Amino acid sequence: MPERADKPSDEQLMNLLTGPEVEGALSTLYDRYSRTVFGVGLKLLGDRSLAEELVQEVFLKVWRSSHTFDSSRGTFSTWIYRVTRNVALDLYRKYARRIRPESNGDALMSASRDASPGPQESVDDSWLSWRISRALEGLSAVHREVIELAYFQELSQREISEQTGVPLGTVKTRTSSALKRLRVGLAGEDALREARR
Amino acid sequence: MKCAEVQPNLGAFVLGGLEPDEAAEVRRHLASCRSCQDELPELEEASQVLKAAPPPTADPPSYLKDAILSRVRAEKLASSNEELPSSRDRGSKIRRFMIPTVVASALVAMAAIGILFGWQTESPVVTVQLIPTPELRDELQAEGEDYWGVAELHPQTFGNQHVELKLNNLEKPSPGSVYELWFVSGEKYISAGGFTTEGSEKTNVYLTAPPETPNYRTLLITEEPLDNEPAPSEKVILRGDVP
Repeated sequence: MPERADKPSDEQLMNLLTGPEVEGALSTLYDRYSRTVFGVGLKLLGDRSLAEELVQEVFLKVWRSSHTFDSSRGTFSTWIYRVTRNVALDLYRKYARRIRPESNGDALMSASRDASPGPQESVDDSWLSWRISRALEGLSAVHREVIELAYFQELSQREISEQTGVPLGTVKTRTSSALKRLRVGLAGEDALREARR
Repeated sequence: MKCAEVQPNLGAFVLGGLEPDEAAEVRRHLASCRSCQDELPELEEASQVLKAAPPPTADPPSYLKDAILSRVRAEKLASSNEELPSSRDRGSKIRRFMIPTVVASALVAMAAIGILFGWQTESPVVTVQLIPTPELRDELQAEGEDYWGVAELHPQTFGNQHVELKLNNLEKPSPGSVYELWFVSGEKYISAGGFTTEGSEKTNVYLTAPPETPNYRTLLITEEPLDNEPAPSEKVILRGDVP
């Protein structure tokens, strides 16, 4: 995800994790990535308290293992995704017998169900989820709002207008604009090609 | 309908958010307009990809960030303790816990975390009184000093427990050591994690205990050297039994 020029990049923040500014740097990385880690964690583990544990462990690992991050070998987003995937697999193994699907979740790691994909397959799917989440996080708040209300809550444009108090015409314009921006973001995350498979 | 009227509607059209009559008008226009047809695939592609998106309501609870930063602070402190040269022999370590000090900033920060922590956990909460072992208590009383605490156990969905330790007058661990909370049942024990203190009058610590721990009815806080030994040391600082 490209950063604005006046803000430190993820990679610059990683360099600060070994110095006195560790808390500010980690706090900013948390603000940028915690929703994605939590969302992908929910999708993988299907349980809110486990997803919370995942978030804690991931950001502690980001701090403890910051010296292993090499920006010449990949982006921070790719690196923290791998950390998230590994911690999720550890949690899955630890709590395997207890994990069950959430009613509104995909329960991708519910390996006990015959029709469900196994953990590795689920984790592979999670890379696509990760990049889509990052693309959504890259939208402005107003664009993300219309996408979430229109797609995930399945509200009509008129219902969105009534719920948010934004004029109907503006809601429609924002929806089209949000989808176009999302597509650009997804192309940046190289997620479109994979999603077409 | 003109292109200028249709194009703002295309996003809503591919997401199925238009009213039936509006959608029908867009469909009629698309049937005869190449320019608007060309706009559609990109929007449909983005819409299709959303199927693999994680749930959008995925906001982690607000206390998590404070809990993480608190752990970072504690581990940094433990690490700096490890680097300090020890000026005391092992026999003098226990006496150090009898010296109360106040670090107001740490108290305020940790108390704030505690409030948020409390909002997020599930009931019922079990409270365990933590007191020094009898041998230590005698020594503490002779010195006119004391330290004590309580552990609040917050059961979670899958049997794991959030543990909030409220400790009073417990000094920093010795250099190269941390405190560790154990759940004990007979000869079996499970660690809920290590921590350190600022040596303040009041210290709150937040840990997560594994799912097996509700069956372990004794809690110990020990002082542990940083040697990865997976068993409680003999240096028991506080002890309590689940009522």
